[in-house]
Amino acid sequence: MEAWVVATGLIGLYLVLTIVLGFVANRRMTGDMEDFLLYGRKAGFIVLYLTVVASFHSSFAFLGSGGFFYRNGIGFWAAGTWTLLVGAITYVIGTRIWALGKAFNYMTPADMLADFYESEAVRVTVAVVSVVFTILYIQVQAQGLGYIINVASGGRISFEVGTLILLIVAAVYLMVGGLRAVYWTDVLQGVWMYIAVWVGALVLSYELFGGPLELWRAVSEQRPDLLSLPGPEGFFRPGMWIGMTITLSFGIVFQPHMMIRYYTAVDAKTIKLLGATTPIYLMTLYIPAALVGLGGALVMPGLEGAEADRIFPELLFAYTNPWLTGAILAGATAAAMSTLDSILHANMTVLTRDIYQRFIRPNESQGHYINVGRAIVVGLLVIGYMLSVGTFDYLVVLVTLSGAGALQLMPAILGVCFPGGRTLTRAGVVWGIVAGLVTLYLTLVVVPHPLGMHGGLWGLLVNTAVALNVSVFTPPPSAETIRRVHGEVERFVYGAEE
Amino acid sequence: MDDYRPPRSHFLPRTRDGRTATLLFVVFFLFAMPPMTHTALNRADPWILGLPFFYVALLVVYTALILVLVWAYRRGV
Repeated sequence: MEAWVVATGLIGLYLVLTIVLGFVANRRMTGDMEDFLLYGRKAGFIVLYLTVVASFHSSFAFLGSGGFFYRNGIGFWAAGTWTLLVGAITYVIGTRIWALGKAFNYMTPADMLADFYESEAVRVTVAVVSVVFTILYIQVQAQGLGYIINVASGGRISFEVGTLILLIVAAVYLMVGGLRAVYWTDVLQGVWMYIAVWVGALVLSYELFGGPLELWRAVSEQRPDLLSLPGPEGFFRPGMWIGMTITLSFGIVFQPHMMIRYYTAVDAKTIKLLGATTPIYLMTLYIPAALVGLGGALVMPGLEGAEADRIFPELLFAYTNPWLTGAILAGATAAAMSTLDSILHANMTVLTRDIYQRFIRPNESQGHYINVGRAIVVGLLVIGYMLSVGTFDYLVVLVTLSGAGALQLMPAILGVCFPGGRTLTRAGVVWGIVAGLVTLYLTLVVVPHPLGMHGGLWGLLVNTAVALNVSVFTPPPSAETIRRVHGEVERFVYGAEE
Repeated sequence: MDDYRPPRSHFLPRTRDGRTATLLFVVFFLFAMPPMTHTALNRADPWILGLPFFYVALLVVYTALILVLVWAYRRGV
């Protein structure tokens, strides 16, 4: 049997499995918004673990990271720093977000921030930032899916058609089964992608070099420039290392699809265990990615620009048997879809809850909002598709841009979750975010990464400075609200108010 | 409401285990940050167990950081 038939068939089988899971999840739905949007706040450790890691790792981890090792060498091992930071952030901040969500029935990041800062302007600003920047993430995943199916079918299914098929499948099971379907498919996807990356990388390293250690030795002999910083293209300078670490940890955790996951945990202990152990999965997935990228640089040199992101599937097709290639590419599909469905869900939740329910039709039935959410998914699918086939860039660049946007929510979130000291004000938060976004535009587009420091970090610095200074001259939230929210954090962390 | 006093800052841990975990995490984390990464760690030699020094050194730091988080969890921090 030809390789493309096996690969495409296995991906098709995987897609059918996800849709079946979506319909099974639908039968468990109770019909209220909290169940549809937040899994009824009942997610246990295993489900939450696999959905968080699967959502964090996307086509960026499966394709983009190999491409980054390929172009920039061992510097991408910096990825370990942001995965570790994600664990610590989950442990320290994720638990507080969970506690506040449970106490005050928050469903979205904007719910929490608008409540504390007593401002609908904060709600709209946060909702817009959440949606605009995570739409880039839809583009990342959709492009990854297009690449995968295009390569798997040997070019018989075009990038555009492949992207459309996979976007539709993700949207269907999300609309049918809500967050429960997303979580259940993420469990399948989280396991599949991890095994697929490891098996694929090990098979390739044995096939091409005689083993991982021999691969490393060959890299040192043929391309020693790949084994030191800042790498062949001079990318990993100190400012970039720090910037990517901050942007891809805080910036991703503060995206709505990750923050909403914190709300869904069954208890605080689950979130803490999640924080302590997610880096194990997240960090170790970059070990095989290094083998793929560095080995690929020796075996298939000359891939330019975004082409390097295809190194893993290209190697699989060239050097392994069709069944293995198909199973691994299905794993790559899983990596992209698990993030895609989470972002579609998060944006649906934000737009339904923060915009439609709040400002357009406030007093409708639960079923009405669920149906509106489903309609929003269709709209997001169309926008995501148009972006995916219209613009191209490195996957890592898009992910970093997306993370840099969400990073601008950091001062506002810390102001809610960490009592003590001076409280930020609604005006401080809004102007801080606006200043951060303007700086982001200047330091990513006009003068990219001034002084070698990532634009996301420049945005955060300006944002924080503006938020603190404006807060000096503008009224804080009411003492009653500060006491209610910060008192809850104090009780949750230390047992009782001081 | 008038007698409300804001709690002490949450940016600094109050318990001994909390302080230990925070300090260890920050110290280990600094080993995985510039200038360490771009100076002392930035070399392939000596190779350790067939792997370049830079790669192994960071793997050790990452493992230590995970152990700190797991320790904090077990201590109920």
